[in-house]
Parts: sequence; structure tokens; C-alpha cells
Amino acid sequence: MPHQPAPSTNEQAFLLSALRENIRLDARPLDAYRPIDLSFPGGPDEYGTADVRIGKTRVLAKISAEVVAPYADRKFEGVFTIACELSPMASAAWEVGRQDQAEILLSRLLEKTIRRSGALDTESLCIVAGAKCFHIRADIHVLDHDGNLVDAACLALIAALLHFRRPDVEIHGEEVTVFPLREREPVKLSMQHQPFCITTSYFDGGLIMLQDATRLEEACREGEVVVSMNRFGEVCSMAKYGGAPVDGLGLLACTKAALEKVKMLDRLVRERLAEDEKRRDKGGLMKELRAENER
Amino acid sequence: MATSTILLPGEVVPTDQLPKLKKGTLTLGPGLRHIPPSTILSTTAGALHVDHKKSALWLEHSNGRYQPAGGDLVIAQVHHGGAESYSCSLTPYTPFASLGQLAFEGANKKTRPQLKAGDLVYARVSKASKWDDTEIECFNSGTGKAEGMGPLKGGMLFQVSPLFARRLMMGTDKDGTSKGGVVVLEEVGEKVKFEVAVGRNGRVWVDSGSVRETLAVGKLLVQADEQGLNVEAQRKAVKKVLKDV
Repeated sequence: MPHQPAPSTNEQAFLLSALRENIRLDARPLDAYRPIDLSFPGGPDEYGTADVRIGKTRVLAKISAEVVAPYADRKFEGVFTIACELSPMASAAWEVGRQDQAEILLSRLLEKTIRRSGALDTESLCIVAGAKCFHIRADIHVLDHDGNLVDAACLALIAALLHFRRPDVEIHGEEVTVFPLREREPVKLSMQHQPFCITTSYFDGGLIMLQDATRLEEACREGEVVVSMNRFGEVCSMAKYGGAPVDGLGLLACTKAALEKVKMLDRLVRERLAEDEKRRDKGGLMKELRAENER
Repeated sequence: MATSTILLPGEVVPTDQLPKLKKGTLTLGPGLRHIPPSTILSTTAGALHVDHKKSALWLEHSNGRYQPAGGDLVIAQVHHGGAESYSCSLTPYTPFASLGQLAFEGANKKTRPQLKAGDLVYARVSKASKWDDTEIECFNSGTGKAEGMGPLKGGMLFQVSPLFARRLMMGTDKDGTSKGGVVVLEEVGEKVKFEVAVGRNGRVWVDSGSVRETLAVGKLLVQADEQGLNVEAQRKAVKKVLKDV
């Protein structure tokens, strides 16, 4: 039975009339994001977990790695998969095991933005060609849903990938040794660029454009355009699933606004990564393993 | 009551807290359960409230979703219409309540209001039972008068907690102080004209004609609820907001 209940006609009409007066219900400008919080939970040896909050929306991304045999047709590449499942924890409209439209769209968008744009260099994950490679798996958990899931999930995924360290390996002929994190400093993933998704929702036949829609705004909008690009302004993908038509100038305006936001998100991720590095840095593994004490 | 007793689920209500009963029956409200012969257990966590005059006691708690009870005023959203009744949702993801097509003031087969999916009505719960569908009506079936109930046009809906909605509806004492400790509406009402309807299901409908004012009133209510503002803090918040409007 659960389906996302549509907002009442009163709410829809009020939201639209407010937007026509340039007022958003939470009193922020049309192109502003809600406060974004990004953190990397976990102890000193745990890498690759990112917790993103945009307003009340909360998404957790977790990266894990294991050694597997590569696909027969791609002997020189590792495997990278993105798994996202929307659980009833975020919204009562989602059931376990029943794929929702939102879930399909979300995983498809992430796949397009990050996997197919070659953000992660999969060739660097190869250990022994045709025999062994790393399988990097990204799990996206939506913990709370108050709109703009795509942007939040993409931000969490990119941040987690940048934060993740895979175990170091050593190859002697056919023999492969995988070192645990305590034994050898783990290795960062090689990322080629960092794309971010920016969703622009539009109302009133494309006259009103806004970013970072809340759940109510998402339920009332006429359509959305998802632009994913990196901080150099290179567009990786553009998606518009149905909705009212938007003219070319409108799309250009979307990408222009998106670039600004991408730069903001990129700066945020860098800042937080640097902070986290400082927090975790105990002067390297050698200092930690030292036997002598501070006296 | 100066000090309130906090009970956890499954705790026995202490006998010295019970109302001094001379004759008549003891009334148990929400959150309490009678186990014969003479044990009263709490079924949820909350503060114990006792009314000695009516020999009633109940638990007050802010968590959980709204459970329909007979006589409650609610704001319902029409989901779809049927031949004889509309199916309305009181809270999301729960079974619908039914609102008779003719359960409006002065309605007959020709003059009944035509409601569409998504319309809001202010209604009273006429029947609430564990085993049956909840029924609501938009008039007093005894007198046939609307008593302020009916379809809500325009305005905006705001979500508050069920406890806050109850506090909003408690009214004022004889000397004019709010019983529920909420003064937002009174304070704003001195400066701004608006209409308001409070539903026990945690929905507040506000309409003042202008977007800015409607939003300001709704935001103040939600803020008072979420941040647990006391009367003094509420006055301060209202003053601050009124300056901008």
C-alpha cells in the first residue's frame, strides 16, 4: 500500500504562489543549498565512509574492497560497482525488496555520473592481468529523505571514494600478498576527476528554476534537470526524465548555475578531507609502531 | 500539579497517585491499561496526569503518530471519492478515514460540496474503533450546524507534533492565560489578521491572504514546537518575526 502521499492542493498552490514572489518556504534564495554537513565517521583504520547531510536529508556511503577475478572480456581492469537500496528507514514509501522508481533513477544517475565518466581509474585496480583484481564496491544508504537525494548521494559517493584506502599488495610472479592495514600503509584510489550531480527543479513551465529542492518542492515541481560535471566545467551527463519541456537557454542556465555549485561542493570535499587527514595523522605508521615512549 | 511522575512502559502506577475516589468509576486515558483486579500499568513512556475532580488519569507523551479518538477535530486530506463517501487521510501511510458525501452542513444530494483529490477538510472524528474504519464528519450530526468545520480553501498546511496540536487547542483560563503554554497565535493576532485551523493529527492550517504573513505564522508555530519554546521565548520570537513582516 505505501506510496508517497501527494501534498494537498492547498500546499501545492501556496508553494507556487510563494515561488512566484521569489519566496521559498524555508526562506532561502532560489539557488541556495541548505547547510551541507560532510563527515568521515570511523576509527583511525577505517577508511571510505562518508556521511552527508543536506538539511534533513542524510546519506551514508561506504566503500569496500576485495580481491576477485576480473571479467573475462576486461582482463586489465578492476571491478567497480555501486549498490544503492532505499530502505524504509528513510521514508515509509519504500519497501525492502521492491524497487521504486526513485531507486532505479538514483542508481542509474550515479552509474552514469561516476562509473561511465571514468571518475575511478579501474585499470589501476588490476593486480595480475586476467587473474586477480580489486573489486571496489560502493554502498549507498539513504538514512533520511527530505528531497535532493541525487545530489546528496553523489556527494557522499565521491567523498567516500576520495577518502577510501585499499590495502597494499605485493606481487612475486603469480603469488600475490595483500597486506592488512596495520602492516602497510594503505593506498589511495586513483581518481581521474570528481564529478558532482546538481539537480535543478523547475516550476511554472521553466520560468522558475531552483536548486536543492526539499521533499515538498520535489513533489510539486514540473520537472528536473540533473547536470553532472566536474570543477573544470566538463559536463559528464545531463538527465531529464520527463516533465515539462525546457528550452535550450534554460538548459544553458542550468549548467552555468551547476558549475558554481560544483565548485562549492568540490571545495567542501577538499576542506573536509584535509581536516580528516590532519585528525588521523599520527605521524605515520612508523611513529605509531615505535617502541619507545615520549619521555 | 507541581511535580509530575514520569512512567516508563510497563510500570505500575503508584497507588498514592490515584485520584481519591469516593464513589463512581475511575477513568483511564491514553497510555494506561487496567489489569484486573487492581493493577494499572503504563503502556508508553510519558508524564502521568491526574484529574481529581473527574477521577481521571492519563499519560502525556509527545512521541508517536496520531491515533484517532472520537470527538477529535482533525484536518483531513481527501484521497479519492466514492459513491457514498470520500476516503481521507489523517496521517500518511495509514488506512483512510471515510467522510460521508452528505456529512456537511446543509448538504443534500444536489448541494453537497464537490471535493477533489488533495483537498483539505476540517472535520471531527465521529467514530474511531480498533476494528473498524475511522469515520469523520464536517458538521455536528446532532444540530446539523457546521461549527467551523468544512472544506479549507487556500492557505498553507504546517506539520507540528500531536502534543503541540493538543496544547494549541487547550484554550485559555478564565483570566486569559493559555492553558497549553502556547501564546504564538494570540501574540501574532494582535498585529496580523489570519485564519487558523488546528487538527489533532498534528496539522495546522493558516491563511492570512498574503504569502509572507501566512509563512511567518506557520514558521513560528513549527519553531515553538520543534525548539520547545516557553511562553517568554515565544513572545520574543514573535516580536522578532513581526519586525520583518
